[in-house]
Amino acid sequence: MADIKDLEGLVLKGEMTITEFACTKIDASLERMKERNPDMLWTMEIQKFMWDGFRDAHKNGKKLVFYGGSVPTELIAAFDCVGFYLDTIPFRLSTNPSLTAKYIDEAEKYVGASMCGLDKVELGAWLSGAYGMQPDLFIYNSVPCDSSRVAYPAMEKIIGVPTFSFDMPFRRDERGAEYLADQMEDLVTFMEEHTGHKLDWDKLKYYMENANRNFDLQRQCADLRKNKPCPLPGRLLVLNGTTNAVACYPIMGDLYQSELEAGQMMVDLGMGVCEDEKYRIAMLQNMIWGNAGIMDWMQKEYNAVAVMDAFGFQGDIMYEHMDDRRDCFKTMGRKMQNNPMIHGASGPSENHIKLVEHIFEQYSPNVSMFLGHVGCKHTWASAKMVTDMVQEKFGMPTLYVDLDAIDGRYKSGDEIKAQIAEYFETVVMR
Amino acid sequence: MDYQKLFDSDISKKAAQAWRAQGKKALGLICCHVPEEIFYAADVLPVRMRATNCVDSSEAETWMSSFSCSFAKAILQYWLDGTYELDGLVASDGCMMASRIYDNAKYINAKGDNSQFIMQIGAPRLNNPRTIPFYRAELTDLIEGLEKLTGNKITDEKLKAAVAKQNEARALVRQINELRKAENPVISGTDMLKLTLSSTNMPVDEYIELLKAFLADAKNRAPITDKRARIMVIGSALDNPEYLQVIEDKGGLIVADALCFGERGFGDPLIVDDKDVLGSIAKYYLDRLVCPRMMDKHIQMHDYVIKTVREFKADGIVYQRMQNCECWGGENILLEQRLKDEGIPLITVEREEHMANVGQLAIRAEAFIEMIEKEV
Repeated sequence: MADIKDLEGLVLKGEMTITEFACTKIDASLERMKERNPDMLWTMEIQKFMWDGFRDAHKNGKKLVFYGGSVPTELIAAFDCVGFYLDTIPFRLSTNPSLTAKYIDEAEKYVGASMCGLDKVELGAWLSGAYGMQPDLFIYNSVPCDSSRVAYPAMEKIIGVPTFSFDMPFRRDERGAEYLADQMEDLVTFMEEHTGHKLDWDKLKYYMENANRNFDLQRQCADLRKNKPCPLPGRLLVLNGTTNAVACYPIMGDLYQSELEAGQMMVDLGMGVCEDEKYRIAMLQNMIWGNAGIMDWMQKEYNAVAVMDAFGFQGDIMYEHMDDRRDCFKTMGRKMQNNPMIHGASGPSENHIKLVEHIFEQYSPNVSMFLGHVGCKHTWASAKMVTDMVQEKFGMPTLYVDLDAIDGRYKSGDEIKAQIAEYFETVVMR
Repeated sequence: MDYQKLFDSDISKKAAQAWRAQGKKALGLICCHVPEEIFYAADVLPVRMRATNCVDSSEAETWMSSFSCSFAKAILQYWLDGTYELDGLVASDGCMMASRIYDNAKYINAKGDNSQFIMQIGAPRLNNPRTIPFYRAELTDLIEGLEKLTGNKITDEKLKAAVAKQNEARALVRQINELRKAENPVISGTDMLKLTLSSTNMPVDEYIELLKAFLADAKNRAPITDKRARIMVIGSALDNPEYLQVIEDKGGLIVADALCFGERGFGDPLIVDDKDVLGSIAKYYLDRLVCPRMMDKHIQMHDYVIKTVREFKADGIVYQRMQNCECWGGENILLEQRLKDEGIPLITVEREEHMANVGQLAIRAEAFIEMIEKEV
């Protein structure tokens, strides 16, 4: 097995694709985990499922559908296609800053440096011919942000495959849901035309049932975090942000089931992830993808655990009337509006404020942090409203840390740690 | 008639004060996807908000952070510091920054005396048979909001009259813009931007009269003969004529633009279908080529830019993009190569709302002009 640096070198030279890199790296991690930490294998198995599925889609006779923003993955799966969420690439590469840097630099030949790093990596990697996958279809949405609204249409033209695009309304109400349900019908027509299959409602129902199961389990896992001490690590919150890609597959539920069992066992034993839990952190923004180890470090160094975040948590929108097509499509629309990164970031600030208020009321945090990705300008533009509410209602100041979720050159993990450490030592622990 | 007011692009609150002194309402508009016609139909003065000459937006930055575009921050700053005296504002979700001006203004208003009318309408980012009715419904909400605010009923007849008035202004601006096709135009790019910006300082009736006066006098104006290259400017919302002045001082003559505060903000006439007046307005506003926020109009926008370069005989394009303005941040992905293929020189410059990098702009503009000027 080659060293990770060697693999990175191959990708940098264009001798290995990102898909091959991801699959090889995940296999290596799995091998290591089997030896050292077999109890935690479930955290990695989902990634193997995802990346092997992307790589082998065509081999398995399935169409590969690239998608950006939040789209109804249940429908993609119901048409027997494999959906590939473009954000999976920057997320996967975020711990390899030399790779993200390469693709960001490539993109910045054409786009402003202030464009979100996620979009720059997606764009730059495609322009570099590094994906190692060729899609059959492309579906995107007008969310989460202005960066993606520029990047996705550009990729549509560059990739050159049949494309469907959603217009996501800013409003989160009945009119907005009806509007999205109409577009869902258009997507069905698009998929029927390009896959050659009629929509099989029973298949769709299967994936909607999976989604319900998964989100119910996710909610149960979230509920466990209300316990003192908190039985689940902050690192798993970061994982929630990735659930868009597999939200309707059984393996997502299996992951949450394992998480739930592990957490419940801790509760039963009266244990928490911190030996002596002192601090419960509410993450108002939580995009430390390239440095998720900081969650472990805070637990160890300060007995501080992130109990909930306003980034990945998806709430509990469920399909209720599975045989009512209109109702299901409206629910699909609402779920799209409630996806990670979409609910708090690209909707009305009021929603972000309400979500944070809910977290403070339900999870008993005593520390507030806003670890904001610099590409999420619209989230930053809501931050004062959100943190003022936290101060006024809950009497807590908030630590702001600007970071780049993707581009490791912006701020290193050590710098982020130093800022957090200073906050603990000068504010929290005094 | 003295038309010099057309060239005073500083933000003035006089028109709003005079309007309000009559017991009528004046509202700020954020983004050109909020149709002014509806405001005039309600006898409300629409004041498209801008940030011209703002040099310090620190108070707004505490609300919107340093990661927001400086144009948006400066508008919020002017909202906070009383540069505008209005009864409220209406935003569209033109971009996320426009939405966040709305969100912050609404929050601040609610924390204060809650006296302002603050509203947002959704403007779709696609133009198709699904999106136009949605936008129409949003405009219906706007009508209801304005009717409630003013007590004035907005009828189709009033809307049609307002459209006719706006169309008159559009036609006059277009006529003036056509003057820029001349080998030696009688209006500079800086003055043309001042002229379009000044529309935000007065009611449309007054604006129309001034435009007519300018056109009547156009033949008496001295042609501009001392410029070395003809330039088209495209990019982010630009409301500082001073910025164009820097380019023109270096020998460039800006003969065309694709700017939402420029001629593009006026655009083609709005054709009304009597069967659905509001639907006509909705369709028109989504049809226009003004901003890359429309996800399905990038190629059309590029076609328009190339066509305009040809029609106005521009020698090159200055593409100015505001830091943190992502809508205009990515055009080079597709446009750059197209322009290369067409043999149209392009320079891309980054800027902020306040004139922070004038020296650098001047050097780059001069070098670009030297590169594209034609040997005589």
